[in-house]
Amino acid sequence: MTALLEVSGLRTSFKLESGGEFAAVDGISFSVEAGRTLGIVGESGCGKSVTSLSIMGLLPKGQGRIAAGSIRFEGRDLATLTPAEMRALRGNRMAMIFQEPMTSLNPAFTIGDQLIEGIRCHRDLSHADARAHAIEMLRRVRIPSPERRIDEYPHKLSGGMRQRVMIAMALSCEPRLLIADEPTTALDVTIQAQVLDLMRTLREETGTAIILITHDLGVIAELADEVVVMYSGLIVERANVERLFALPQHPYTIGLLGSIPQLHLVQDRLNAIEGQVPTPMTEIQGCRFAPRCPFAADRCLQAAPPLVDLGDGHSAACWRAPLEADAEIELVA
Amino acid sequence: MLHYLLKRLAAIVPTIFFVTIIIFGLQQLLPGDPAVILAGEDQDPNVIAYLQKKMHLDEPLPVRYGYWIAGVVHGDLGESLRIQQPVLGLIEEKLPVTLELAVIAMLIALVIGIPAGIVSAVGKDTVWDYAANVIALWGLSTPNFWLGILMILLFSVSLGWLPASGYVSPFEDLQANLAAMIMPAFVLGNAIAAVLMRHTRSAMLQVLNADYVRTARAKGLDERSVVLKHALRNALTPIITLGALEFGTLLSGAVLTEQVFSIPGFGKLIVDAVFNRDYAVVQGVVLFTSSVYIVLNLLADLAYFLVNPRLRG
Repeated sequence: MTALLEVSGLRTSFKLESGGEFAAVDGISFSVEAGRTLGIVGESGCGKSVTSLSIMGLLPKGQGRIAAGSIRFEGRDLATLTPAEMRALRGNRMAMIFQEPMTSLNPAFTIGDQLIEGIRCHRDLSHADARAHAIEMLRRVRIPSPERRIDEYPHKLSGGMRQRVMIAMALSCEPRLLIADEPTTALDVTIQAQVLDLMRTLREETGTAIILITHDLGVIAELADEVVVMYSGLIVERANVERLFALPQHPYTIGLLGSIPQLHLVQDRLNAIEGQVPTPMTEIQGCRFAPRCPFAADRCLQAAPPLVDLGDGHSAACWRAPLEADAEIELVA
Repeated sequence: MLHYLLKRLAAIVPTIFFVTIIIFGLQQLLPGDPAVILAGEDQDPNVIAYLQKKMHLDEPLPVRYGYWIAGVVHGDLGESLRIQQPVLGLIEEKLPVTLELAVIAMLIALVIGIPAGIVSAVGKDTVWDYAANVIALWGLSTPNFWLGILMILLFSVSLGWLPASGYVSPFEDLQANLAAMIMPAFVLGNAIAAVLMRHTRSAMLQVLNADYVRTARAKGLDERSVVLKHALRNALTPIITLGALEFGTLLSGAVLTEQVFSIPGFGKLIVDAVFNRDYAVVQGVVLFTSSVYIVLNLLADLAYFLVNPRLRG
């Protein structure tokens, strides 16, 4: 069976003010099977969002471009599609929800207008039928009294409600792939849990594959089947979710796991990974994580480690992988 | 909404009251005595004294203001000293001319300015953007009277397509009226189009980067609906304000342009009145145009409700 989405060797470059280009995403490969959920995790600036915009064909025009690699969706290479063919996919076969529910809906139109517009863009429905479908979608995302809510403007809804509207909009044409870019980051913790719960239920109802982009490993643990860890435009580790949490191999992943607050431990401070993500513009010879890595050796500074298969679908880009158990304990403690 | 409307309407009264004080006060700063000007070359002291008494010029300032404002409240703006006609009649006579000129000029400005702004924002840093900016710069920096004279030279003198000057009532001969109006209207509209284009461009650039525009693209909408529906609707607010203010300026008369094309509108009326110290006319016309300005501002605010549902509460 071929994957629903296959990204291979994707390299997305952005123009610099000074003239040159830098790669925000520098040669990454992954795939998503139908109905599965892939989590992409990493700090701000690691290239998560750029990856999703590359897939959707929504890179800012004139600034970002796919410089190398390919994205195959339902067997078709997206690079070969015309803009009109790409539009026919967007919002239809693949849809996206964004981080900021407060600003992602157009303040000048009712949520009904915005839902119906998307539905009629891809389905040959009358306005009345599209409206009925929009109300049904609002009901499915658990918006109370959708018949009334549909005629309201976004500013009347709370952030959580707006994110539900965004989800309804994204799912209204039954996409095969939903890309959720930090869908809960801007929401209160209780609302976060509700939205995650909703996404889980909808995934079971619709069988939509999800790419879940987040910096929050808690969200990953809730929803993802497989996880890709990104650092500075590269994939540093890939595994299924249980394995990643149980046996992380890359020091960066271990650091991320170590920075989750733990209720059973008394901690004065949370563990943080020292230093900052290097911008993709910085020229680093060797491993990009080496300047922040507690295990960095001479070899790490000289050559970048490849992503190597460690078996069981687990791979990591570290010279030291597979890590010895004691080293792991040393860092987490 | 109703509450807001009432509040705005109530605010008009004190605003206009202040305007009358300013108009009246500034007028007193003009050097020269209207009685002396009216008395002609002989400067007979008896005549001057008589005229001063007739026009209440011998009374203190607040009393004179009182006379004027009492008339204004009763719909009497006074009488022109020079041509012995009621000011209201003069306004009624010139208003249609200025109004027609302003409407045509504004239409030209909107039709050129807004699309040019959209094109240059959408095609930022392309040839279209540079072209629109160069043309806007030209529009902003070209003096109206100079452009007017050049157009007369080209279209009237060289090509003979349009009349160089003069005004024909549209009720007499619509075609001749439009032929006489098109050049002055273009001259006025051209400058406003440049301002509108600059503002449309910057407002559009701002909203084109908005998250909801990305959402619209993510829905699979074509660029046309993304730009003209989702972006433009949100970019309109500053453009409406600007358009209303520019229209108000047009209605207060275009002095130089009316002069170049010999159009008998407000601009010419005010200039003549100022030179002749025709107090009643200056006061009346300025009060009228200020009121128009205030009303246009109110209309612009009401238009916000149409484009911005958040204000409807």
